[in-house]
Amino acid sequence: MFEPRIVAFLCSWCSYTGADTAGIARLKSPANIRAVRVPCSGRVSPELVMRTFDQGADGVLILGCHVGECHYDTGNHRAAKRIPILQKLLSFAGLEPERLRLDWVSASEGERFSKIAEEFTGVVRSLGPVHWRIKPDETITRIKPVQISPDSIPYPKIDASVKTEAIRQKARELLENNQVSCVIGYETNRRGRTRPVFIHSTDDVPRLVWNADCSNNLTGYLPGMLRPVRGKEPEKPVAVVVKPCDSKAINVMVAENLYRREQVFSIGVACEGMQDENNGLQVRCITCQEAVPIVCDALISGTTSSFIPRLSSDSREGISTINTLSPARRFEFWLEQFDRCIRCYACRQACPMCNCPVCLYEQDNSTFVGAGIGLNEKRTFHLGRAYHLAGRCVGCDECERACPMGIPISLLNQLIAAEIETTFDFRAGLAVTPSPIVTVLSGEYKEG
Amino acid sequence: MSETHIDKKLWLISQNELSAWLDGIAEARTLVAPRQVSKSILYRPVANSKEIAWQSQFPKAAPPIRPTLSIKEIYFPSTERLFTINKNGQEIVLKETFPDWETVVFGVRPCDARGVKILDALFLDTNPIDVFYSRRRSNTTLIGMACQSLRPSCFCTSVGGAPDDARDVDIMLSEVDGGYLVRAVTEKGRFLIPGGEWEETGDHFPSPKFNAEFTLAKKGKLIEHYNDPYWLNISERCLSCRACAYVCPTCRCFIVRDEMIKSNEFERIRCWDSCSGKNYRRLAGGHRPRAEKNERMRNRIFCKFYYYPEQYGLGLSSACTGCGRCIEVCHAGVDITEVLLDLEKMG
Repeated sequence: MFEPRIVAFLCSWCSYTGADTAGIARLKSPANIRAVRVPCSGRVSPELVMRTFDQGADGVLILGCHVGECHYDTGNHRAAKRIPILQKLLSFAGLEPERLRLDWVSASEGERFSKIAEEFTGVVRSLGPVHWRIKPDETITRIKPVQISPDSIPYPKIDASVKTEAIRQKARELLENNQVSCVIGYETNRRGRTRPVFIHSTDDVPRLVWNADCSNNLTGYLPGMLRPVRGKEPEKPVAVVVKPCDSKAINVMVAENLYRREQVFSIGVACEGMQDENNGLQVRCITCQEAVPIVCDALISGTTSSFIPRLSSDSREGISTINTLSPARRFEFWLEQFDRCIRCYACRQACPMCNCPVCLYEQDNSTFVGAGIGLNEKRTFHLGRAYHLAGRCVGCDECERACPMGIPISLLNQLIAAEIETTFDFRAGLAVTPSPIVTVLSGEYKEG
Repeated sequence: MSETHIDKKLWLISQNELSAWLDGIAEARTLVAPRQVSKSILYRPVANSKEIAWQSQFPKAAPPIRPTLSIKEIYFPSTERLFTINKNGQEIVLKETFPDWETVVFGVRPCDARGVKILDALFLDTNPIDVFYSRRRSNTTLIGMACQSLRPSCFCTSVGGAPDDARDVDIMLSEVDGGYLVRAVTEKGRFLIPGGEWEETGDHFPSPKFNAEFTLAKKGKLIEHYNDPYWLNISERCLSCRACAYVCPTCRCFIVRDEMIKSNEFERIRCWDSCSGKNYRRLAGGHRPRAEKNERMRNRIFCKFYYYPEQYGLGLSSACTGCGRCIEVCHAGVDITEVLLDLEKMG
């Protein structure tokens, strides 16, 4: 009979002692469980869980103190918030969700520990050996393509010259009055491609444009430009041209203390949507909820707007398509996608929210991921990055557009954003609020 | 344009003959060819000619197929195991793993083939020779496919190449009405051609004219702009990702790392690295000689047009083949031709 290898992370105060209690009471617990003693269930970071699966565990069990009984007050609140989201993410990537379980066992509940351990081992045993880590010689089965993007909507032709003029005027005014050191906007290069431009003097103001290809999220440049140098903050604010979706990123960055709100002058542009390479509306625009920037010091509004807000559930089309597949098929789908990844980090670098000084997945001594550009490493990077954006991703889809290999990365972000919205009724960037994942539980917590 | 092909014979073959030939090759060897993988086209192993992405499958006005990644990855894969380290008690055993399979790459664009030639300067022509690279090189035959037009981002003609440049492939194919013109360029290529079965044709190889878009600045001139504030301006939009380097047919920086497989088994791997990443050349203690993105972008341009040609004696040619991939993948719109034109303007 198949005997699963199960790793159990046990909180030192309650669950580990609970396991001891079970032992002292001579209760039977399955020998499949390898216990790892951790100070608190809040210590069990998602990376740790992913690493455990990467290393070949058939199941991961996380046990902590009951909510309200944590020896660090709120440590287990983190676990209670994180692990269910992680479970959804791993399940989306093709791992059977039953292989990961979070539960609560207090020091006196030896019987409960024994029961949970028995139950979990039984479930994992019935699932059979895990298929997660990819061996070097393993070939990927090619599956039939899965249609994941919603139908294209033609891009409405809009005359953007009024907005271009208004942006230039505002930029000139800001630079002339010495209000800002730089205006980050869009220009069109000699190939006719629209790209970011940094305007430092009024002479360059005519370079600024507004059109259907102003796709980049320019707020990603702000943390770098506003970073204090030798403890000194830059003297003047920076102005940035933002679309409604981009503007939300400013709220998240301010909430995370990357800069202060006063350091940014937001030139918000009312947006009709951006165009994709097939002259249709970009996917993010099809399901966009805001016509006007949320963070905005000057509003550039055009003529009549054709903006039609749609139900945010429309954006879940890709997610539900994948979720209807079996775990094995989901696994294959994502492997085929991640196989193309070259680990160039374009997704991470283009993301306004990815601004750790050194990425966890790029550290030389990283214990979570190797340096190789292999399937395991790539999947760990993408799932980990998606998780790190939980409650922070504003859905600008820069990652997906920056990807030279066309990997539908933003599906992962959309999945987590949808989970966060259902669980916490929270959408990132609507206000200066940190991700609900990093805060304590509010209201009553129901176990199970 | 090249005079090096071994015989003057030319064959005219139909699409069916070509497919049958490739199917035959695929049976005996690994055939790598442009293949549609989701939204991108990549050089990937194919089981038969049906899996290949053909130009004829696209609308007539579509730009020539150019896979997202260059054929660099065939010779110099993104991750390569150099050897394994086994520890049994006091005994340590190192075991090398060499690549040994024969590969035929079909549909190679002249710019990509040129890229391999440029990589040769470092991996093959300079001591010590890279064993892994040289094995792959001698086991691989390149079947080139001339481009009938240029993509908007192509500028091979400006850096000494041409859309029908046959210098660096083993067999060159050219699309003509009613099929393909085939000629053997090297002995290795001649070996693959089933001469007798194919219809020989006249000595004429059509070569469409393409003009250079611009001329390269003189190398001596380039170094004068080393400390120019221009680099600060042009690099402002750079995101410090590595897409440009990883899609480039001639970028070849790598890092070497030991990683654990099991508690008593380790491997030494070599993976791609890039001067556009923040951690490029980081030393022990944390010093980064290319800490800012302007320094890194300058490094990339200088490497292509000054450092590498100087160091490996490429003479007048540059280490850039003009494939234009970096221009297309750059999310921030950094354009290498723009930089070159600007430097030229600066004199």
